[in-house]
Amino acid sequence: MAEDPTAAMAKECKVRLKISDDTIFEVEYAVAMQSQMLKNALSDTGTDGTVPLHNISSEIMAKVVEYCAYHVNAANTISEKDVKIWDQEFLKDLDQATLFNLIMATQYMVIHNLQDLICQTVADRIKDKSAEEVREIFNIQNDLTPEEEEEIRHENQWAFEEEGWPEIQEEVRLEG
Amino acid sequence: MDESPKKELAVRRNTSSHLHRKEETPSWHLGAPVDIFFRSSPCRIVVVNAQELDHPIIYVNLIFEQVTGYRADEVLGRNCRFLQYQGSFAKTRYPLVDIRILTEICRCLSEGFDFEGERLNFRKGGSPLMNRLYIKPICNDEGIITHFLGVQSFKEANFDLSPLRGLVWKKSSGAIHTHILGDMYSQKPLFVHRDCSFKKCCPLYKVSDEVLVVNILARLTPRDVTSLGSVCHRFYNLTKDESLWKLVCQNIWGQETFSILESVARRRRLWWGKIVRELTTLEAAAWRKLTVGGSVEPSCINFSVCAVGSKVVLFGGEGVNMQPVNDTFVLDLNEDCPEWTHINVNSAPPGRWGHTLSGLSDSRLVVFGGCGRNGLLNDAFVLDLDEPQPTWREVSCSTRPLPRSWHSSCILDGTKLIVSGGCTDSGALLSDTFLLDLTMEKPVWKEINVSWRPPSRLGHTLSVLGNHKILMYGGLATSGPLRLRSSDVYIMDLSEEETRWKYVTGSMLPGGVSTCNSAPPPRLDHAAVSLPGGRVVVFGGSIAGSRLETKVYILDPMEEKPTWRILYVQGRQPKYASGHSTCLVGGTRVVVLGGHHTEDWMLTELHELCLINLKGTD
Repeated sequence: MAEDPTAAMAKECKVRLKISDDTIFEVEYAVAMQSQMLKNALSDTGTDGTVPLHNISSEIMAKVVEYCAYHVNAANTISEKDVKIWDQEFLKDLDQATLFNLIMATQYMVIHNLQDLICQTVADRIKDKSAEEVREIFNIQNDLTPEEEEEIRHENQWAFEEEGWPEIQEEVRLEG
Repeated sequence: MDESPKKELAVRRNTSSHLHRKEETPSWHLGAPVDIFFRSSPCRIVVVNAQELDHPIIYVNLIFEQVTGYRADEVLGRNCRFLQYQGSFAKTRYPLVDIRILTEICRCLSEGFDFEGERLNFRKGGSPLMNRLYIKPICNDEGIITHFLGVQSFKEANFDLSPLRGLVWKKSSGAIHTHILGDMYSQKPLFVHRDCSFKKCCPLYKVSDEVLVVNILARLTPRDVTSLGSVCHRFYNLTKDESLWKLVCQNIWGQETFSILESVARRRRLWWGKIVRELTTLEAAAWRKLTVGGSVEPSCINFSVCAVGSKVVLFGGEGVNMQPVNDTFVLDLNEDCPEWTHINVNSAPPGRWGHTLSGLSDSRLVVFGGCGRNGLLNDAFVLDLDEPQPTWREVSCSTRPLPRSWHSSCILDGTKLIVSGGCTDSGALLSDTFLLDLTMEKPVWKEINVSWRPPSRLGHTLSVLGNHKILMYGGLATSGPLRLRSSDVYIMDLSEEETRWKYVTGSMLPGGVSTCNSAPPPRLDHAAVSLPGGRVVVFGGSIAGSRLETKVYILDPMEEKPTWRILYVQGRQPKYASGHSTCLVGGTRVVVLGGHHTEDWMLTELHELCLINLKGTD
C-alpha cells in the first residue's frame, strides 16, 4: 500500500524548538502537531526555522515531548486501556512544581489532552479534602486571620453539613 | 456639581467639552466621592444605560477618545468589556485581566454599590493601560438605577505582555489589590486593601486565576469548591467568581440544565454561586401561592400539563358530561400578570383524558395515548409553540404500542419519548416500555426488551436522570390478584447494552410497609420531579386510607444505599397534588395546578414549589 507522500514527508521532517536556556529540541513533525499553537505557527512559517519557546524549561519540554511522542504512536495502535495505564505511570513521579509547570506549558502550547490529564489529576487531589489538607498538599500559606477564617467558615457552613439537608425543620402546615 | 434635572451632562467644563449622546440626557445627582476624580488629572468618562440589556454605552467624553484611541461612534451602543480585549479584533479578554475585579464590578452593579478599583485595559492599538476605575450607579427620582457613571484615570502599565514569562502574578508596580472580604449575601461588603506578597515557593502561584478556575476548580463539586474558600485569600476570592460557578454548573449538571437555569438567572439577575448552592442544599425551597388571570374554560379535570420554557401548557381533559375535550391553553409565567390563553391551533388531536403531555426541546411538546370518545388511544401528536400558527401534527407510525391511559412518560435528551405501563381497554394493566425517537424522519416505536419487568401498573411516574437513565416510582401495581399502591423505585440505564430494570428501594411487595420512617407511603398519581444531579423529589398523589399526603420526599439514586428523606419546605403546601397537573418550569419552580377534583375548576389559584430563591438580589 503506497504511503501518503505528505505523511512520509511528515515523518522525516523535524521541527526545531528553542527553549529557555537556548538549547534546541528537535521533534518529529507529527509530535509537534499535537500542539495547536505549534501547528498554527508552523503552518505560517514552515518547518525550516526554529520556534522560540522561551518560557519553557528543558525538563518540562522533555516531559511534554515524551507525552506527545507516545500519544502520536498510540493513536491507532495501542488500546485505550493501555494508554490510560501509561498515562498514570507518566504522572506518578511528578512533583508539584513539575505538575504546575506542565499546566502552564500545555496552556501556552495548547495541548488539550495533556492539559486535561494533569488538571484532572490536580482536581482529584483536591476532591473531598479539608482546607488544611489542601494547604499541605500545595504548600500554600494560610494568610487568613482567625476572625476571617471563622467568618468564612460560618458563611460556607452548608458545604460542611452532612449531605446538606437543611437542619432547620419548618412545620409544614395544611392549607386552609 | 450641577444638580438640576434635564440639564446637559453635569461635568466640569475643563475635563470635557465634547458631548456624544445616543439618547436623551439622563437627569441625576452626583455624590461627593466623584468630585475627587474630577479634580485630579483629566479623566475618561463613560455612561452606560443600566436598564438596557448588556449595559450599552450611551456617552463617552473627549478624553476617553484621546486616551483609548476609540472614537465615540465606534463604542456607543457596545458594552465596555471591549476595553479588556487587546487590539480591536480580539474576541476574548486578555488573560492577565483580573477576573476577580470583573466579578466585583458585576456584583457592585447588581447591588447598586459604588465600585472602586484598578483594572487592566487596552488601547485600540493594543498597548496596555492600568485603569483606575470608579463606577457609580445613578438613580431616577423613584430610586431605580437607570444609568452607571464610570470615571477612569489611568497610568501606563509597565509589564511584560508576552505570555507566561516568569510569575504571572506580577502586576505593574504600585498596583493595589482590592480584596473584598464580605458575605456575598449580606448588604455590607468589607473592603480590605492588601499588598500582594505571595510565597514564591508555592508552585500554585505560578498558575493564573483563569487557568486555575477553568481547568481545575471547574471540575470540582459545589461542596469542594466552597470548602476551598477557607484555604487562603486567593482561593476565597476565586470561589466568589461567577464564571467559576457557571462552569461548575455546566460540568456537574450538564449543558441542558445550565441553559435552562441561565435564562432564569439572567432574567432575575441571580447569582450563580447562590443558584448552585440552593439547588444543592434545597435550603430555600418554599411553597408559594400564585394567582393568575384568564381561565381554563370549559372547565375540566384529568387534563395534562407540561412546561415549555417559562410556559405551562395544558391539553385535553374530561369536561362536562364526562366528555373528553381537546383544547390547548398556555400560561406564560414570565409575564408580569400571567393569564391563561386559549390557543387556536390547527387540527387539534381528538379529545382525551388520562393521557400524557411532555415537553421536547425547542418549544415543542408531544401528547400520547389517553381515553378518547370511543375508547383508549395510542396516537401521538406533536405541537410547536413557536410556529406562527401552531399546528398539532400526528406522528404517523406503522406499528404502535397498545392503546392505554394513565400510563407514564418522560423525554430523554429532549427528543425521545418513553412510555411505560398504563391501563388497557380490557382493564388489564401493562408493564411494557416503549421508546419513540422523534428526531427520525419516520419515527418508529421500539419496545425496550428486558428480561424482567416490574409488576404492571398505572398512575406511576417516570423521571429522567441525566442523559440516559430513567427512574420509575409508585403507581397502582399488580400484586397477584390484587392491585395495591406501590412504593417501589426502579432504574433503567438506557446506555447499557443489555438494558434492564434495577430495583433501588421500596418494598418488594407493592402495598407493603417499609421499615424506614422517612420513606413515603405507597401512592399513585403523585408528582415526581427530577432535580439537577440526578435527585428526585416526590409529593402528593393518592395514598391509602384517604389521608392527605403533605410531605415532600427526596431521593438520591446515586448514593450507595439510596434512602428517602423528608424535605422540609417552608410555606403552605397545597392539599392535593396530582402528577399530570404538575410540572417543573425553568428548572426551578414546580407548578401545581388545580386543587382536589371538586375544587378550583378555574385553575386561577396555583401553588408552586420554588426550589431556589427567585427574588434576585434581595
